[in-house]
Formats: sequence, C-alpha cells, structure tokens
Amino acid sequence: MAVAEGAMARVVDGITDRLGQQLIEASLSPPDTLQLVIDPSAVRAATEQLVRGLGARFLISIGVDRRLLAGDFGVVHLFSMDADHLFVALDCSAAADDPRIDSITGVVPGAAWSEREFRDAVGVEPVGHPDPRRLMLADDWPEGLYPLRRDVPYNIDPPPAEGVRPRFAAPPEGASVLAMGPFYPVLEEPAYFRLFVEGETIVGCDYRGFYNHRGIEKLGDSTLTYNEVPYLAERICGICGFIHSSCYCQAVEKAAGIEVPRRARFLRTLLLEVERIHSHLLWLGIAGHIIGFDTVLMQAWRIREPVMWLAEEISGNRKTYGMNTIGGVRRDVPAALIPKLLATVAEVERELTAVRDAVVTDTTVHARTRNVGRLETAWAREVCVVGPPARASNVAIDARLDHPYAAYDEIVPKICTDEGGDTWARVVVRLNEAFESIRLVRETLAHMPDGPVLTEVSEPIPAGRLGISTVEAPRGEAVHAVLTGEDNRPHRWRVRAPTYPNLQAVPAMIQNQMIADVPITLGSLDPCFSCTERVEAVDVTSGAIRVYSRRELASLAKRGGAGR
Amino acid sequence: MFMAKLREAVICFKAGRVTLPYPAAPHDPEPGFRGKITIDPDLCFGCGGCANVCPAGVIFLHDAEQHARILELHWSRCTYCGRCAEVCPEDAIALTQMFETATDRAEDMVISLKVFMGPCQRCGRCFLPPTVLDQMDVAGFHEAGGGRP
Repeated sequence: MAVAEGAMARVVDGITDRLGQQLIEASLSPPDTLQLVIDPSAVRAATEQLVRGLGARFLISIGVDRRLLAGDFGVVHLFSMDADHLFVALDCSAAADDPRIDSITGVVPGAAWSEREFRDAVGVEPVGHPDPRRLMLADDWPEGLYPLRRDVPYNIDPPPAEGVRPRFAAPPEGASVLAMGPFYPVLEEPAYFRLFVEGETIVGCDYRGFYNHRGIEKLGDSTLTYNEVPYLAERICGICGFIHSSCYCQAVEKAAGIEVPRRARFLRTLLLEVERIHSHLLWLGIAGHIIGFDTVLMQAWRIREPVMWLAEEISGNRKTYGMNTIGGVRRDVPAALIPKLLATVAEVERELTAVRDAVVTDTTVHARTRNVGRLETAWAREVCVVGPPARASNVAIDARLDHPYAAYDEIVPKICTDEGGDTWARVVVRLNEAFESIRLVRETLAHMPDGPVLTEVSEPIPAGRLGISTVEAPRGEAVHAVLTGEDNRPHRWRVRAPTYPNLQAVPAMIQNQMIADVPITLGSLDPCFSCTERVEAVDVTSGAIRVYSRRELASLAKRGGAGR
Repeated sequence: MFMAKLREAVICFKAGRVTLPYPAAPHDPEPGFRGKITIDPDLCFGCGGCANVCPAGVIFLHDAEQHARILELHWSRCTYCGRCAEVCPEDAIALTQMFETATDRAEDMVISLKVFMGPCQRCGRCFLPPTVLDQMDVAGFHEAGGGRP
C-alpha cells in the first residue's frame, strides 16, 4: 500500500519542529518505512513528539552491532503510525567504545523490555532505565559477553558465571511472596511470576522469564541463509508458525523490493486465517481448562481437529506448514481441494455456533471471567498491548488493517472490539474473530486469482536495507525487522512475538485480584512464552506402541537416540 | 444456567466418541504429507544441492576418494521441510507418507549413500541452483569440505 506523501511530511515536520538540527536525515525506506536518523541525545524528545504529538504507537527497539559497517552500535526504535499505514524508525547511534543511549521507558512504558533486551543482546546501556535487570540472558551467563554482537560466534559455549542469583524485586512492606512458576501446571511453558500478596489479594508482582531463550535470531544472522530462515522462523511458535515465516518473508521481500504474485498473497491470507481459526479454538479450549470447565476443552479441540487435517492436506503438515519462501509460497492449493475446504469451515462454523450459544449463557463462565483481569484502555495504550487483549480494551488496532499485507488490501477484515476490558471481553472478541476468519476464508477462496505462486528471485539481495513487516497473529501483532547483510543472509533479524508486549501488561491486570484469578487472567492473553523468548519448539510425531517402564526410558535416553 | 448445561450436554452427546483407535488401527496421513525421506541411490549423482539448501544442516558430503562421494542424511534432526526434494535435479529424493519413525537405535537415524562420481566435462559444476538465494557454497567434488561452509 502506497504511503501518503502528506503523512510523511507531517511526521518529518513534527520532528523538525521539536528537534531542529538534531534531525540529521530523513529518508523513505520503500515501501512504507520512514527512517529518521537523529542525534542520540534527542531520542527522548523525538519519542515524546512521536507518541504524544503525532499519535505513533511504539513497536520494538532493535539493537544492531554496526561496527563493521559504520563503526558504531545502532539502536532503532520502531513506531507505527496506524492511521497512515506508515512505520517510523528512529535511528540512533551509540559509540563503539562506550555504547549508551537515553532510556525512553519513561515516555513509553511499553519500551521497558525492548531496552533491557538490547542491553543484554548487544550491550548498549539504556541510561535511566527504571528496571535495568537482565531480561533475555540467563543469570549465569558471563557479564560483558553480548551474544548478538557480530564477533561472538553462534555456537559459543562460555563457562557459567559463578555465585550468581536471579535479582528479584523486593515485595512491598507487609506483603508475602507466592511463587507461581517457573513450572506451573496450567501454563505449559516456563514463566516465573512472584506474586506479592496480602491474604488472597495481589498487591504486586515480579516476573522472570526467558527460560526458553535459544538464540534463534543469532542463527538467522550467522549461519543460515535467507532461504533457510523461514523454516526456523516457523518454529518460533508451535501454534502460529506460519505467521512468523510470512512475517519474515515479507520483511525480506520489502527490503529487496521483490514483488510477490497475487495468487501467492491470497494463499498466504488463506493459511493465515486457517491458522487463526485453529488457534482461537485451541485458546477457547485452554481457557475452559484453566477455569476447570473441561467440556469446553474437549469440544473446542474436537471442532479444531478437522482444521488441522485440512492444513495437513494443503501444506503437507498439520502445523509446520513449510509453505513460505522468499518470493511466494512453495505449494499451490489444487482446485479439487476447495469444496472440501469450504465444507470443513462450514462444519466448524456450525459446531462453533453451538458451543458459543451454550457458553455465553453459562453463568459459571461469567462468574469466572467477568471483571477479572481488567485492563483499562489508557494503560493498554501505554504498554502497547496488541491483538485481542488490546481490542477487548477498546484499542482498535489490527495489523491486517493498519499495515495491509498479503491480500488484506482486497480481503478486508472487520475489526472486532469490545469495551469491557476484562477476561470475558477477550472471550467475546476471540469468538467473534473466529467467525470473522471463517468469513475471510470463504471470501479469499471466492476471489482467488489464477497465476504463479512464486517469483523467481533473479538478483542478490542488496546489503544495508531495512525491511519491516507486521502480521496479525491470533495472539496479536507480530513484528519482524530485517536489516539485510552480506553473504546471502540478514545482518540483523529482530522478531517480536505478540506476547512480548502483552506480558508487560500483566502486573496491571492482576493488581487487586484474587490469587485464584491469576491463571485465567494470564490465560486470557493467550500467552506464548516460547515465542516471546524465541525458542526452537520441536514437534515429535511418536509411533511407539509398546509401553516403556521408567527405567527403560531412562536407559534409552542414556544411549541417546540423536544422530550427532 | 440450566439451559446452558443442557445445550452443552447435547453437544457432547451428539459428538459421541471421536477418538481414533490409533495405534490399534492404522492411521494414514493426508495425501501430500511430508514424512520420512528416501533417497534413490540409482538416481543420485552426488551434486550436493540437497546439502546446500538443508535448513537444519543434516545432510553431509564427504569426498572419500578420487571418484567416490559419501552422502549422509542424519535425519534425527530433519524438519521435513522438503527443500532437498524440491531442488534435487534428478528427483532422487522423495518424502514418503511414513511417520512412525521411533527407534531405539541411533544408527537407524542415518541414511548413507556412496556415489561414484564422474567429473562434469562441460561446466565443472553439477547443476544450476534454482535462485540466487540458494547459491551453491558446496565446491566441486574434489575440494568439497562437507555440506556446510
């Protein structure tokens, strides 16, 4: 989608008013990213002007080791001007010998984690950060070793630091600490919440996560090539893998100026919506399970299963589709499959309608979700919450509309918002979105054009280009930023999964709640800790028929099934 | 409240039992499923295109002697993306419907192939990669140091 000249001029004028000579350079990185190179001492003023003055929404910060290119470290704060369909990248330089930059967390609370992450990853110090503890790195990772610097090899295995302990926040006066995690039964993934409680009431909390960090971004810019990364990107998340591979491919395609065939864009849209349907059904089941209502779990997952089979028939696998590649998709959907696709979504619609009609009148569900985990609209904006949690707090953002990608410029989704802001509102939003996705699948199939599904990439991708792409995952907006590099691979690939901003809203959501409401409040974010931490999730298809005893299993594990 | 519970009960009764009797009864994946990889030794001529594009890096090449090249697929870490089959110029690699691959022997997870090579007299290289993004970084078979740089 073409960016209005007026919007760009308005942003540049707004920043010039505030910064004057400190705005060094403004250029458009095609097609829709405005790059503003600014004096790093003006970063707070520029952020304030963008967010307060121009209504921009903070996305992520990217720390880049540019010592080989420009002799410095780079910190790029990325913003979205939703109404203008424009990304704004604030590009600041940090000296190679003493990398530091003013923290913007005071202006945008949602930037807290991003700033801690670039400090951990490339070692640029955010000066004045209110909570400068480690975020991404393990506590026993040695001090002063920054894994995303270019001179650190991807397979480094340093000796662990001695005598270190996690730095926990102190509870308020008179409050007790209740540990929830690192392994908590209903959450399925490691996350460590330390709840500060007075009796049954929560008065604060502290979070330590990133137990699943495996360095996916590092692999992407050190050992894999452009065309290999999509398969790794797909494994960032076990539920919305196609979203991450689409988002990565789109970022590279934007940076390189590769035109994707129209049919490929429609096929991406089709699969993205199929993925949303199954993800929302999965979430509905898990939410039911968390509040102890396992009928919903069983029935939602029963309805979901045919969607998985359908994905297997389209792509060759029920979850890791392996469909995306730079320039399009690898498989076409045969015309013979389309009646089956339509029949499946019709069946899902019929069944889901029955479940919805039963659940919305069920007073036990209301009792567990109404007024639970309330997130106020203003704070949702401040911490930059995305996806269904944002829309349930009446923040009308949706990447499909704000930055149309794939075929969403032609297949326009209806945005589903709610004013409730509580867990019930998030249930309603997701249910409505599932039905909306079914409509989008039908519309995509009805308008599916003919033609090729893959563009031949005939020239090498030039280095030094920035490509930004967002994709509306079922959990919210995923952001991928690719700075192209030499050697047929990205120089820096930054991934932000939707749970990353959403988790930062948890302290506000559970404040003054009962302990028993914490699991469903967390669950209502549809959290995906592994994606947030960029783990490699492995799906094991097991064909074992024999039942092994515990001892047999242990001896098997010792012998080692792995090849290398 | 009562109506809601009644509706929920109707949904459950209507659905009945949906769990498949697997593994007592066989379960066939959908056509086009990407399962265990097979390599046809009669067709492979050792170009190394598969090793070049494998995202997981589980295909290795070793030049054993003047006219022999060993191709090893360590598929315990294979992600079944099917890139190898896609780039194979001779269609020697195929993804099968087989998914019951659990084993307790590590050596079952390696497919090894010895290919007798003849040097290409025209180009010195074996095949043209499909796009510039998949440029061959596997050298000619005399100098090859393995599947990855």
